[in-house]
Amino acid sequence: MKHTFRLSETRPDARRDVSDEIRFHLDMRTQELIEQGMPADEALREAQRQFGDVAAIEAECRDERRARTRERGRRESWRGLSMDLRYALRSLRTNAGFTLAAVLTLGLGIGAAAAVFTVVDGVLLRPLPYADPSRLAMLWISSAASQGGGELPLSSGLYVEARDAVKDLSTMAAFRSWPFVLSGESNAEPEQIAGARTEPTLFDALGVRPVLGRTFTPDETRPGATRVVLISYSLWQRRFGGARDVLGRMVTLSGERYSIIGVMPRGFGFPRGAELPAGLQFGPRTDVWAPLAFTEEDRRNYGTMNLSAVARLAPGVTRAAAQAEVDALATRVFKEIGFPPGRFGYAIVGLEDQASRTVRRGLLVLLGAVGFVLLIACTNVANLLIARTAAREREFAVRAALGAGRLRIVRQLVTENIVLALGGAVVGVTIAIWGSRVMLSLVPGSLPRAEDVAVDARVVAFTCAVGIVAGVAFGIASALHIARRSVAATLQSGGTRLTGNTRQRFGRRLIVAAEVALSVVLLVGAGLLAGSFARLQHVTPGFDPNDVLTGNVLLPVGARFDPVRDGPAWRQFFDELTARLDALPGVSDAGAVSSLPLSGAVESGGFTIDGRPRPAPGESPTADYSVVSGDYFAAMRIRVLAGRTFDGRDRSDAPGVVIVNRELARRHFPGMSPIGQRLRTGFDFSNGASPREIIGVVDDVKQTALDAQTNPAAYVPETQMAYPFMSIVVRAKCAAGQTTCDPTVILPSVRRELARLDGTLALSNVRPLSSVFADSIARQRFSMAVLGVFATLALLLALVGLYGVIALSVGQRRREIGVRMALGAQPRDVLALVLGEGMRVTLLGVVIGLAGAFALTRVLRSLLFDMSTTDPRFFASAAFLVGAVSLAATYIPARRALGVDATSVLRDA
Amino acid sequence: MAGSDLFTGTLDILILKALTWGPRHGYAIGRWIRETTEEVLAVQEGALYPALHRLERRGVISEAWGETDTGRQAKYYTLTAAGRAHLRAESARWTAYSRAVTRALAVSSA
Repeated sequence: MKHTFRLSETRPDARRDVSDEIRFHLDMRTQELIEQGMPADEALREAQRQFGDVAAIEAECRDERRARTRERGRRESWRGLSMDLRYALRSLRTNAGFTLAAVLTLGLGIGAAAAVFTVVDGVLLRPLPYADPSRLAMLWISSAASQGGGELPLSSGLYVEARDAVKDLSTMAAFRSWPFVLSGESNAEPEQIAGARTEPTLFDALGVRPVLGRTFTPDETRPGATRVVLISYSLWQRRFGGARDVLGRMVTLSGERYSIIGVMPRGFGFPRGAELPAGLQFGPRTDVWAPLAFTEEDRRNYGTMNLSAVARLAPGVTRAAAQAEVDALATRVFKEIGFPPGRFGYAIVGLEDQASRTVRRGLLVLLGAVGFVLLIACTNVANLLIARTAAREREFAVRAALGAGRLRIVRQLVTENIVLALGGAVVGVTIAIWGSRVMLSLVPGSLPRAEDVAVDARVVAFTCAVGIVAGVAFGIASALHIARRSVAATLQSGGTRLTGNTRQRFGRRLIVAAEVALSVVLLVGAGLLAGSFARLQHVTPGFDPNDVLTGNVLLPVGARFDPVRDGPAWRQFFDELTARLDALPGVSDAGAVSSLPLSGAVESGGFTIDGRPRPAPGESPTADYSVVSGDYFAAMRIRVLAGRTFDGRDRSDAPGVVIVNRELARRHFPGMSPIGQRLRTGFDFSNGASPREIIGVVDDVKQTALDAQTNPAAYVPETQMAYPFMSIVVRAKCAAGQTTCDPTVILPSVRRELARLDGTLALSNVRPLSSVFADSIARQRFSMAVLGVFATLALLLALVGLYGVIALSVGQRRREIGVRMALGAQPRDVLALVLGEGMRVTLLGVVIGLAGAFALTRVLRSLLFDMSTTDPRFFASAAFLVGAVSLAATYIPARRALGVDATSVLRDA
Repeated sequence: MAGSDLFTGTLDILILKALTWGPRHGYAIGRWIRETTEEVLAVQEGALYPALHRLERRGVISEAWGETDTGRQAKYYTLTAAGRAHLRAESARWTAYSRAVTRALAVSSA
């Protein structure tokens, strides 16, 4: 009874529903009154009287009904959604294997993409943390290709000319690296701190104000003014516990007393080393700023290039216009100081480009690669879903037959797929958080803006959006797929067709071929990078990085670098230190050097050769130069090719000596021995103009990078050119029978000797030389490792896709295979049938992939060392690898096809 | 409302009670109330319908159009499970209430 009422519809038209109901009542009542003997017309009036105001009651009922309809509609849709969700979860749970595969595949794809996006976002996309950063630019000296090309630091003379003349650059500020040793207050260890000397305008140019105190006044940049510093937020927290009364406190920096006048905001660390050329030797982030002063002498110094400058473009001025203005200035200035035209100029580089240019290419390659991985993951899931939907055709047909509308089924599918995709997104975010950390740990200190990189709400939103879009797309795709099939046809065919829909199968195979192609491209790319990296690792650096401990020692330098005044003290200190270290029991040789190879440090200067015509200004040959102390060459195991190394004869008052590298000898003394020749070195600041005699030739050492060309180099003894900033190199004496050993075991005794000599000095950046070596190729290792992971992932996903398609195809073709076997096909024929299907797909993918790789790997050119982007060995290996594993992936379902029992298949039909 | 001089909620209980014997249309419910209360609680009959619609919206009764014995279309109301529970609770409350009122009145007249 109840059910019959349930099934009949309630009327959607509220007005008719109410008036019909009330008319029925009045009719019945009238009838009743007539039966009681009342005349018909009177009965009707009486019925209406007893009922009351018909119109008012009808209106009241209609309002009630409308409210009810609205309410019920809302409730209905919520219930529908929760039902969809419950149904989706149940259906995903019953297919746990499928769900796991889809969620993991999507999660890997989305996670890898989000991790790379996070890094790219932090390094390339997010604006620098300064006011209006797109208007900021760096000013450099540009050099023509004949002078080595590239950008050089400014000299104070050239900087002041530009600062005072250029109108298009409104606020300009020069700065230079100036490491300090912060001496311990109370019991804290002395600590080396990355510092910068800067003009007061730096903070105006960047648009950054101190959170506490003030910046420098112009007065404080005058020579002899009170010594004042600004400190970073992190130094304030770390060394001063964030005390508000830090202003006015005195600190000892490199032996001099400074007064703290301000604290910069949290996160501010300009200049940050990785954003500027490595040779300038800025720390990863700057913690102390002191004023930069120009003397009259500095203003006339055009030769010593040691300044960087940042400027803000004047309002409305384009970078091109500013460049035109500095070009005009360069023509005038270089003429005035007597340089030949066309050799040098000024260059304006946007600060954002400056920060990211070294890594932009590599990161974009990774972004492209991860795009491939995401694409493969999505196509894979799409393929899985289409296969699953096909398998569920019957289920949907039954539901449609029971009255579920098409929209209802689409909604169900979309809900299911969104749940699936969001599951993937959750896995993806987890992978992204973990993956971006791993990626950053691969490039310690050498990725610009690494501290700006973080998985934030935008990345999470990005992944969820990808998930939802993917879910909706998958849902609609599957829904379209079943919509094409008529309910009746599906039910009649019983869901098992002879060979499946050929068009569908073709589409699925094409998708898998595309996956194979994408993974071939990634494999070729990863192979090229790995090959390049292997070559890089086998480059001989010219020294032996094993068993050596290095660390930096900075002697206090006053506000002015004055080697005449302080030189004897520096010399004596490093002589004493290297002698003491050399005497330690666990040490075989110890020395020190001003520019440690591969650490990013390099200094160069011009020189002339005695007895040859004097070159024109700006045309003298240049050499990288290093000041060395102690047994530097022995400690580094740099081979001596001719002559001798420095020894006790080369005292400060002895005739000047210099050692050159093979490259200098090759270029300037071809076919002759350079020993006994004399050089006058422009970088010599302690020996005046007197020439130095070449006493030895040593092997070439990679100074800046393993993949850089070797420059001519000259070595001068500390005794004759004292220098306050040295890296010590201490070679450990390995126990008898051991070929290598851990050099850090000698660290405590090294520290002890340093403390005995001077308790206020810090030993900073202590690490084995082998890790200096490894860090110098960290970027290359990063690209190789990440691309390698992506290529492996892509290959795995493509294999899963291939396996899935072939397995499905075998499942669908069981009857066909059974028929073939019944007609006399041998297992070999069946195997060939299935393997052939897989191999055709693979071959198509490999061919497309090789063509794609040929077209695409050229973007890798600048990332490769000494390799062609079309090296056929890597193409062949990738093709072979993909072919071999595809064969394996096809073989499993092919074996299963052999198990088809012809009689049972035919009986079931 | 419309002409109802019943205590608040009384009409609702009576409607639910009328439906405990099975589905009924509005007119039958009205007649049952009229007859069983011996016209003491004579309702302005029109007031029944807004009450029915309100109860239907709350889900204590459900509605469906059906045919009467004489072949006419009429809207039938059925007590839902929620309605049954509601009726039990309300009748208990009503009994307690009326007993209390009765007792109070008895005290003051003595």
